[in-house]
Amino acid sequence: MKKHLHKVSSETDANNEDKAGKSFHFPQGMAGFPGETRFAFLYDGHGDIICMQSLDCPEIAFLLTPWDEERLGPPPAISQERRECLQLTGDEPPFWMLVLNPFADKQWVTANLQAPVALNVEARLGMQCIRVEEDQPIRYQWMPQPRQAA
Amino acid sequence: MMVIRRKCGQSFHIGDHVRITVLEVQQGSHVRFGIEAPVEIPVHRLEIYQRIQAENRSSSSGDALCWLKGVES
Repeated sequence: MKKHLHKVSSETDANNEDKAGKSFHFPQGMAGFPGETRFAFLYDGHGDIICMQSLDCPEIAFLLTPWDEERLGPPPAISQERRECLQLTGDEPPFWMLVLNPFADKQWVTANLQAPVALNVEARLGMQCIRVEEDQPIRYQWMPQPRQAA
Repeated sequence: MMVIRRKCGQSFHIGDHVRITVLEVQQGSHVRFGIEAPVEIPVHRLEIYQRIQAENRSSSSGDALCWLKGVES
């Protein structure tokens, strides 16, 4: 799983120009942040969690983790329109990630299963895909809150 | 709020690139729309979109990178 994170990540200590070179373009932005379309993925070696930070507004940052098929079953189907937006060709699947929320619950880091993020790693394109076909938990208990270093 | 009357099969435009067509009016209170919009414009049911907006704001409201760096390995 970690090797996938290295595929998408930029260096945490890289300057903004380097990050921009490895950034992902989100044509629709993220829900609530439509103007933020360029994100760097910063991996700092903490398990399967990666930070997706806006290049234009660094205080907007999300924590993401890869979709866990063993735990959640197969990832959602993706529509042809979304595939075209991500420039996915043939049957190539996107790389699915979940948006984590470490701030909403004192005991748990939660994951938004209703609106995962789909990435085309090769084309550096991404999209938050709101699942309209079914109701999924927005605050799924993903993992207990880890200990924070002093 | 602008109010427009349309019959089944009729459309209206929002700007140059968004077209909304009334497809079906069911007995009771349901209306089916067809929406044509550029892929850059996400189209969702309001109640779901508002929930996702709120959750995204909550997820990104703290300093996510600091949180991640502070996690004990």
